[in-house]
Amino acid sequence: MPTDTRRITGPESSVSPYSFCKIQEPQPLFNSQDLRKDGRKCDQVRPIFLKTGVVSKAQGSAYLEQDGTKVICAVYGPRAVIKKEEFSMKGQLRCDFKYTTFSCKYRRQYQQDNEEKDYSVQLLEALEPAVLLHKFPKAQVNIYVTVLQNDGSALAASITCSSVALCDAGIEMYDLVTGCSTRLAGDRLLLDPCKHEEYSSKEHSEVNNGSVTVGLMPSLNQISAVTSSGEIQFEHLKKAINKCSEICVQLYPVCQQSLSKSVKENIKENT
Amino acid sequence: MAADVKTAQPLQYYRKFIEKDVRPDERTLEEFRPTVLNIGCVTTAEGSALVKLGNTTVMCGIKAEIASPKTEEPKKGYIVPNVELGPLCSILFRPGPPGDQAQRLSQFTNDVITHSCCINKEDLCIVPGKYVWVLYCDMVCLNYDGNISDACVLALLAALKNTSLPKVVWDEDTETIETDHNTTTQLNIICEPVSSTFSIFDNEVLLVDPTVEEESLSTGEVTIVTIDDKICMIRKPGGSPLTPQQLDLCINRSFIRSQEVIRLIQETLNSVDR
Amino acid sequence: MVDVQLSDAEKTYIIHGAQDNLREDGRGCEDYRHLEIETSVVSTTSGSAKIRLANTEILVGVKVELGETSPENPDKGRIEFFVDCSANATPEFEGRGGEDLANEISNMLARAYDCPSCLDMRKLCVVEGKKCWIVYVDVLLLECGGSLFDASSIAVKAALYNTSIPRLTVTHDEGHTELELSDDPYDVQRLDVYNSPCIVTLSKIGHSHVVDASQKEEACCLARLMLAVTDKGCVTAMKKEGSGSFDVSSIEDMLETGKKVGQSLNKSLMEVLVSEDRNMKKKYMTGYLR
Repeated sequence: MPTDTRRITGPESSVSPYSFCKIQEPQPLFNSQDLRKDGRKCDQVRPIFLKTGVVSKAQGSAYLEQDGTKVICAVYGPRAVIKKEEFSMKGQLRCDFKYTTFSCKYRRQYQQDNEEKDYSVQLLEALEPAVLLHKFPKAQVNIYVTVLQNDGSALAASITCSSVALCDAGIEMYDLVTGCSTRLAGDRLLLDPCKHEEYSSKEHSEVNNGSVTVGLMPSLNQISAVTSSGEIQFEHLKKAINKCSEICVQLYPVCQQSLSKSVKENIKENT
Repeated sequence: MAADVKTAQPLQYYRKFIEKDVRPDERTLEEFRPTVLNIGCVTTAEGSALVKLGNTTVMCGIKAEIASPKTEEPKKGYIVPNVELGPLCSILFRPGPPGDQAQRLSQFTNDVITHSCCINKEDLCIVPGKYVWVLYCDMVCLNYDGNISDACVLALLAALKNTSLPKVVWDEDTETIETDHNTTTQLNIICEPVSSTFSIFDNEVLLVDPTVEEESLSTGEVTIVTIDDKICMIRKPGGSPLTPQQLDLCINRSFIRSQEVIRLIQETLNSVDR
Repeated sequence: MVDVQLSDAEKTYIIHGAQDNLREDGRGCEDYRHLEIETSVVSTTSGSAKIRLANTEILVGVKVELGETSPENPDKGRIEFFVDCSANATPEFEGRGGEDLANEISNMLARAYDCPSCLDMRKLCVVEGKKCWIVYVDVLLLECGGSLFDASSIAVKAALYNTSIPRLTVTHDEGHTELELSDDPYDVQRLDVYNSPCIVTLSKIGHSHVVDASQKEEACCLARLMLAVTDKGCVTAMKKEGSGSFDVSSIEDMLETGKKVGQSLNKSLMEVLVSEDRNMKKKYMTGYLR
């Protein structure tokens, strides 16, 4: 690794203590009562805690906590575009997705790696259909998402968190975007998987093992983001997308409640 | 009307308040903002802490990794602190590599750890000459409202107190190590450094725990790091000169602050254990 | 990709045409444009392929090297994708302009090939826990004419089919392992790409969708769905791109079309590759690379 002259550097290379662990047997996804490791059923989603206005210096911000997955998002804008060549009559959105170094089991790097760049692009494409870009021409809105702790479904949580933050910032939108992800394991669908339930190509090799993430605009019933990985048959894929869309609709009232709560508090403060 | 004066002539706006010995956010000149501490919030990290000093929010996460020690110090581990001031926390920062302020803060926290000797680096040794622990302490700022140095030092100290390292077993025959995450040992903290920052306003007045507006109007700054009732470090990077009496005032105030902070950490740790 | 300027009337014409399964160049909604593939074009690589899909031209070179196994998968080889958008293709790719697109294509390819059943990585392992073959796939975009993801994946599959890895004999000698390269240049190991995926891009135009959109059609479409489909009819990666959104029901239609088109594309591609391989010596070299 090239020495980073702008940061305090430690030793040239270090290894995570998990590499020296005894290799553990992969744990079964379901126990004897057909419940998952944390006691949930197949189609149960973890409860969501959502709060807006956590970053006082940003135009809009939101913090989402779904059991172990903790995501914070800040929205700055609309502000002037930095590079003059990128002027356009439509406004621009810029998304930046980043895991903190301590958010995952294995320590991550300071710079954005390929996975984070990929997620940034996917987040951008999930949010673009929902925002009225023509209302802020020649300007851009910056969305910064930081995952403080990753316990599965980080992309889905970021989609929900950033659309709530955009709303909190007062950016005009057609609708909120809620995200949900699922893990396919053979014929079963595990909604909102935890980190150990998430699909990983290294561990799971049978057909119909994979993961699907969906971003939905509930009141318009339009899917604004869909990604999948793992080898999945088409029928299972369709089932997964439908199931995720159902859950996204259920998440809608939670987002609405937290936004209306923050608006009421704002009104109270200002009167 | 007041908001107009604040934007157009911030200096006059502040002077009016300071004449009456009070600040716009209703604090006295020597009052710290309410401090909230949350320890052990991130379970994927070996140690973590979240500090809210008024609006300023800093989260510190500590990840431990294993590396080979330096040849000239075969029994000492590494502690690598780094402060990240990302574009998330304030409009002042752009995405990209750490800027000047972040580098200064990282160096400051590194100095605090080295000079205060709060951790004995030999405690981090697993097998002398072969394997030692490296503690990567990353402080991420989530909301930038002034006085980041105090928040970072407090977050770092609280996270270190929360750090627990997995047990490592050294097999002499195969010359390999095996880690066991089910048994953990708490890190031993020898002393507790606490930092207090004062900003100098108009070359005369000392303001404790400045907000970001106060920092932008200040003419100088001094940070004092204390351990119990002794001074560990004083950092005064240029700016308006201070008389010895003013410096004495700062030092006394920081001793009081140190006791408050240590009590806060203790209470938080007790409530977590319960 | 170069943005073609279209008037509203032209856009309406294309949208209405797509609804009636009639496209601007006379194709149906599920037809690909004329596709030419040539393998073994670059003799310094272990495998290569050049593909021309109407105006899109892509060259893929595959090189295999011996390397260390990764600690997580001690019994498997590795495959790494790198995409280079050359400035030849369009002036927008000058300097670092094409970096974002290159990242997207390589990420999609990496995800599509990430499944264990696409390429048998175990065959690439030489000495378990120590040495394995690492397959470096380099994709070079020579000309951009739409359908970049589709053409890249077809070219990658063809190049991987064409790849020949020299056979190694491993001898263990009292804890000391020796690797011997076979002298015979024809004693090679081929990769089984039968189950490798091809990416099918479905562009949503109006209320219907088209496969292999030309540049004008891409200017009318707001959202695209990319599916990496294998011969068996499974999806190994899916990605939505663009600033538009889909109806839940239209996604199902697109998946159906994608599956049909993907399977037939895979089948015809394999037929062509197998017959080209058989007629290796009688091959009449075309194209400017020879």
